[in-house]
Formats: sequence, structure tokens, C-alpha cells
Amino acid sequence: MLHQIRYEQLSFWRNPQAVLFTFLLPVLFVTIFGAVFGGDEKQDFYFGLSSMEYYTPTIAAISVLGACYGQLAIVLSTRRQTGMLKRLRATPLPAWVYFVGLLAHCVLVSVVDVLLVLGVGSLYGVAPPAHWAALVPTLVLGAASFCALGAGVASLVKSAESAPALVQFIQFPLVFVSGTFFPVHADVLNTIAGLLPVKPFNEAMLAAFADSGGFLWKELGILAAWGVLGTLLAVSRFRWDPKPE
Amino acid sequence: MTAVAVDGLRKNYGSHEVLHGIDFTVAQGEIFALLGPNGAGKTTALEILEGFRHRDGGRVEVLGLDPGSASDARELREQVGLVLQDIAVEPYLTVRETLARNAGYYRVPRDVDAVAELVGLHDKRTAKVKDLSGGQKRRLDLALGVVGNPRLLFLDEPTTGFDPSARHTAWQVVRDLRDSGTTIVLTTHYMDEVQALADSVAVLADGRLVESGTPATLGGRDGARARISFVLPPGTTTAELPLPVREATAHASAADRLVTAEVSEPTAALHTLTAWAVHRGAELGRLTVERPSLEEAYLDLTRSFEEEPSQRAPRTRGRRKIRSRS
Repeated sequence: MLHQIRYEQLSFWRNPQAVLFTFLLPVLFVTIFGAVFGGDEKQDFYFGLSSMEYYTPTIAAISVLGACYGQLAIVLSTRRQTGMLKRLRATPLPAWVYFVGLLAHCVLVSVVDVLLVLGVGSLYGVAPPAHWAALVPTLVLGAASFCALGAGVASLVKSAESAPALVQFIQFPLVFVSGTFFPVHADVLNTIAGLLPVKPFNEAMLAAFADSGGFLWKELGILAAWGVLGTLLAVSRFRWDPKPE
Repeated sequence: MTAVAVDGLRKNYGSHEVLHGIDFTVAQGEIFALLGPNGAGKTTALEILEGFRHRDGGRVEVLGLDPGSASDARELREQVGLVLQDIAVEPYLTVRETLARNAGYYRVPRDVDAVAELVGLHDKRTAKVKDLSGGQKRRLDLALGVVGNPRLLFLDEPTTGFDPSARHTAWQVVRDLRDSGTTIVLTTHYMDEVQALADSVAVLADGRLVESGTPATLGGRDGARARISFVLPPGTTTAELPLPVREATAHASAADRLVTAEVSEPTAALHTLTAWAVHRGAELGRLTVERPSLEEAYLDLTRSFEEEPSQRAPRTRGRRKIRSRS
């Protein structure tokens, strides 16, 4: 198990493009948002938070979404297309060990991403999270659920070429209706988005940062349910062979 | 001891049957070559043995295990290595790391450095995979196939695209593996490779086994008439040749007057011929005695299937349809 995690890490950290894009993008996002919307005053528009008190957690959340859901779906479909997964399937490595290795990798990347975003946020005067005890489990659960959904999406696509398209097709609208880039004040939309995976994670992250927050059990429950759905999809549909029967 | 036993193996893609009940066995410790034209079903048959595809009928036993059974799969992967046609290795790991990673998947792996040595990548152990040449990557692939110390190794067209010297090196590696007790099942389109490596062969065509045997006996070529060829000495005609007319079918080509005679007893025929030439003080240029080559025997065996496009076309189309649908 540690063996697999170690080599999964090596494969990632040696790849300059993967490292650059995984970590640069969230930092860029939060820096730009700080430059555009920065300001200390609390606003009703941000539910009584300052702009960066709102955006730091949501951008931390989307960095986890990208590192787990998007990256994993693309990596898995690429590795399947090149025959890497087929070859792996021919070794005695149990499938679950392989996937736990990937999950551990994604969680680690997510932690680094979140810390980077927090770091930039603090430059804009955002206080550190008020509830570390809530942040860590929220982060791990979110990462795991998004990984499961990423593996689920990888099970649906046929080719590596179509993976990024499907990933974006799902992610793009979700991010917008979930208040990641701007708060949403429409009740109907919030109710719907609240049942989808991204908004509950945003809310749970915001709660972990806010003084009045903590654990949001209902949101974490919805997130976990999506994780289970993704897992079931992956378990029933996942293919190792680039050329299925 | 039998390493692989296949009995009445059938496989359908959709409604189209691509393997119509094939039988063959591979003995432990031999190099077995599975031959056949493209689309004959070689890859499908191998993938069933490797556990990648399910069979629709027949019995298959690999090292005493059933590759179609989920409970046998883990043990089978422990004991079987495979080298596929496409190279698929992490570009940013070094050769040694790549081998060490896979070695960690097996109960009793081979020594990583010894495997690198075996395939001639000893000097490249610290090189990143992305910096290797195409041939070196293929050798790394072979190393990954054997790092788990398999009892049985599948090689799918192992030397396609190799230069002649790399092929001879690869053949030696395969022979060394056989000599250390590994059973090897390979597919190839090169008959010189079969001649150089295989202890036994089976020929598939259109989903049926058309022949099995050894490279020396394939297509009955051991019993076939030998051919004596030479350049007709200047100033002689084919009528003067001492080879008995009923045994010889001679063709003199206009350009170089090369003569070929097919004989059933080459020793006596050659003796008569050379005595005749020596007596006349003539030199028989480019004198050769040969049996039909393996390639000729193979082409004869598979020709009837190549020449019936009506049989081949539906299968090819059927397969494509299945692939794009799923």
C-alpha cells in the first residue's frame, strides 16, 4: 500500500506540467479574486462576510474539486487509453490498493492546494480557519467523494479525448450554480444546487472557516451520498481495457 | 507437464463467432508460437488466456488455473507475465523505479538490477523512461513482463519494429528465459523468428486451428521434396542434365539460366549431379539444396483463407461494430 502511494507520488511530482497546473491555478484564482474583489468590509452580498472571507474557502473548495474530480477522471481515462491500466490489471496488485493509492495522492494534493489558497488568502487579511477540527474531515470527505465521482466519470467515457470535455460539461455549470465564483441569492437555485455535490462542499468549507460555523452534518451527508454514488458507478462500470468487447 | 491447455475454445463478438472451437496445448518450458494472418483470432485467443476476455465455450487451463474464474485471477497474475504490443510506462520514473514499482506487486519478484541486466538496460537504470529510445522502451516492457518471475510469459509480437541486431539480442533473452524454466507463448508475423525461437507452433486462420506441430514439420515440409538449384553451366542444355527426367522439373530462366530441380532423394541426386559437373570440369554456380521454407509452408496453410474475402469481410466489420458500440 505505502509502496503504491510512494510511486504514485513520484510519478506526479516528477511531472513538471502536472505540478505546475495543479498548484498554480488555485493560487492564480485566489490572487485574482483578491485583486478584483478585495476589501475588508462585511457585506450582505457575501452573507455578512468580507469578499475574501467568502472566496478563500470557495476557491479552496474548487481546488479540491479540480485535484480530485477533474484530475482523476482525466488521469484514469488517459492511463486506460495508453494501456497502462490493462497492464496493471495483469499484475497481482489488487484494484482497491491501486485506487486507495490514487485517493491518497489526491487527498495530499488537495491539502497542499488548500494550504496554498489559505496562504494567499491570509495576505488579503483573511483569518485562518476557525474550526480546523471541522476543516480536516470536511476536506478529506470532499476529496474522497470527488475522487469517487472522478472515477465514476472515467467509467463513463470511452476515450481519453472525450474525458476533459465531459469533466468540464459537468463541472462548469455546477461551479456556477453552487456559488463558487459569486454568491447565489436565488432560493430555488440554492435548493437544487444544495442537493448536487459542489454547493454542500462549499458550504461545509465556509462553515469550517467562520466563527459561527463548525460541522454541517446535512451537507456532509449529501456529499458522502454523492461519493457513494460515484463509487457504485465506478465499481459497476469501470474498465481497464482500452478496447472493450 | 502442460502449461496451457485449450480445448474447444469458442468466442463470439455479438452474433459473430471469431473463434470456432480451437484446441492446442503448450508444454511446460517450451517456446510456443501462435501464428496466423491479421484478424485470425490470435489476439482474442491470447486475451482469453490472459484473463482479459471471457470465453463463450470450451475449456481453458493456464498453469492449472482457469483464467475465466475470478477466484483464480489473482494467483494467475502472480505467475503469468505479459508483454503487449503498445508501450505503456510512466514517463517520469527512472528505469529502476519503474521496475522496482512493479516488482513490489509480486510475492517473489526477480532482482530489479538483474532484470535490467537481462534486457541490456543496466547502464540506463537511472535514466528517465521518457528519455529512452523506442527500442529501449520495448526492452523495459519486456523487463516488466519478467520482473515478477513468471512461470509463463506471453509475448505479443515481441520484436516488431526492432533492428536486426536488437532482434537477435531479444531472441537470446527469450531463449535464456526458456532455459531458466519459463514457458513462453508468443505471437509473431516473422517466420525467421519462429524458426529461431519456437519449439512448437500452431497456425490460426479465420478462427480455426489449421495446423500445429514444430517449425520443422509445419505444413508437412519435412516430407516435401527438396529443391536443388544452380546456374546451368555455359554450353549445356537442360536435356544434358543427369537428373532423372521424371524426378526433375527444371526451369531455365532466360536471364541467368538458373535451374531448379525438385527431387525426392536429394543425396543421390546431388551425387549424380556433382559427379557429372566435375567430370565435365564445369562449376555449378550458386548451388543450393533446400526444403520449402517455413514462410512458404505457412503461406500455403493460410492461403485459402486469404483468398476468400467473403469470409473475411464480415468478421472485420462485425468486430469494429462491437468495439464502437461499447
